[in-house]
Amino acid sequence: MSSNLSALMSATFYERGYDHHVEIIHQRDAEARRRLESLEVTLYDGAGALLATPKVDPARDILDLRALVTDATRSPERVMVVLDARYDEAIFPYRPHHYAYLHRAGSTAPPLYYAVNAVLGGVPDRVGATNINNFETYVFRQGPFEQRYSLLLGCLARFVPVTAQVFTYYGSRRVTHDVTLAPKCHAEIPLAAEDAGERLARVEVKSLFRLLSYVVGRRADTGDLVLFDHLFTYAK
Amino acid sequence: MARHLRSLAREWLGVMRPRTYYLPWITRPGLECALVLSNVEARFKPEFSAGPFPVTVVQYDARGIAAHRYDVTLADSTDTVEVPLRPAAGGCGFATVRGERLRSDLYVTLSDGHDYTATHGREEFIEGYPGLIRLVMKVACAMVSVLGRTVPIFTRHQYVYLGSESRSHVLLMNLSNVTNCIRAVASAGGRRVGSRLLRLPPMGSHLLDVASLGPAPSAGTTVWRLRLEGNAWFNLYMVGAGSKDLAGPLSLMHVK
Repeated sequence: MSSNLSALMSATFYERGYDHHVEIIHQRDAEARRRLESLEVTLYDGAGALLATPKVDPARDILDLRALVTDATRSPERVMVVLDARYDEAIFPYRPHHYAYLHRAGSTAPPLYYAVNAVLGGVPDRVGATNINNFETYVFRQGPFEQRYSLLLGCLARFVPVTAQVFTYYGSRRVTHDVTLAPKCHAEIPLAAEDAGERLARVEVKSLFRLLSYVVGRRADTGDLVLFDHLFTYAK
Repeated sequence: MARHLRSLAREWLGVMRPRTYYLPWITRPGLECALVLSNVEARFKPEFSAGPFPVTVVQYDARGIAAHRYDVTLADSTDTVEVPLRPAAGGCGFATVRGERLRSDLYVTLSDGHDYTATHGREEFIEGYPGLIRLVMKVACAMVSVLGRTVPIFTRHQYVYLGSESRSHVLLMNLSNVTNCIRAVASAGGRRVGSRLLRLPPMGSHLLDVASLGPAPSAGTTVWRLRLEGNAWFNLYMVGAGSKDLAGPLSLMHVK
């Protein structure tokens, strides 16, 4: 393998019962010239234990996470799926994007399509993250919706735990939570939809190192996902 | 090289590309579409953080007509304003957002009243072609459309999903001032599934029903490759539909 290859490390979460497809190459050209050189997939449970390293053909289009995770582990918990890709920057001048489609079997909620979080690849300039990407925010609607909000956070550090500050804003009030994640650990951090009569307006996540982070909204009655999105950086 | 040649050709032909922030919209009975406007990402930039921020939203319908205009003001960088969009012809389209010192991603949400889905808009451009070029394009497209083809100046590839319980439709947006003939060809496993040739008026939009390209599977989810070719600049958003298809709750999904 060439030592001039670029790297992209993306990660997402798989929950049981979801049809979940990850596009290894978001925009495959007709000639299939765009392809990864290699792809390593690793699965971790919430406590950071390595569950499996299933072999994946980097030439394929779509990764069926449901089949992959079900075959690789019997863990009923949420699984963090790390996609460590190598690619030729002559073929991907920016980077290969991983996008994904998810829908819970039997749910009446619409499917969601999202950009898989690019955490880091060891070559930060190739993931378009030369600015600060560890201080992010997300804005919520104010209506009295029947949905629960949370953050899904994962730590891809190898050696050190990462502490994040999670700020939630309700009107002029700010509520702060500290979250510490050991390497490869992940957790769902609930965000109260209301505090002292004020609706959740926005959330911020600030950490010393980049975390895997998704904003999540679930239907209050079934828990089905209706939001699964990345946060937005303050420093563009 | 191809990028530089395109850039030179645009310059030579006098094609304008004014920066434009836009978001898609869809309205259906029982489905509210609202924009969430803020300038929160500019909060720590002194030159952008002090309000007020006047913002103008222009909502284009599927025919490309500016159907509604909304003028709102953000008091400061932490202020948020929700703008419910009114129904307009075709039930879909895109809205442009203009505001000096607005430097944040803006959200578009779809809600059935119980919960909502959301995605964000994009800072891009609208292509403006001079009169003679518009005429040449019109003639060229009329000729090749007889064969079910278009002049493939821009090409996009996108995966689409089709299952018994969920699917992803495609909202196509003509981001130019010429009629855009967009050819959509779906394939799976190297085999062609189906194709459509669509004519989008300037600034118009079309919600491409993915099931119109081929038969849905009886179980599971099928993934098709969709190749889209257009004679002028266009872009797309994915539209997620559940078991009730377009009559049920929907999600709009941003694509790079």
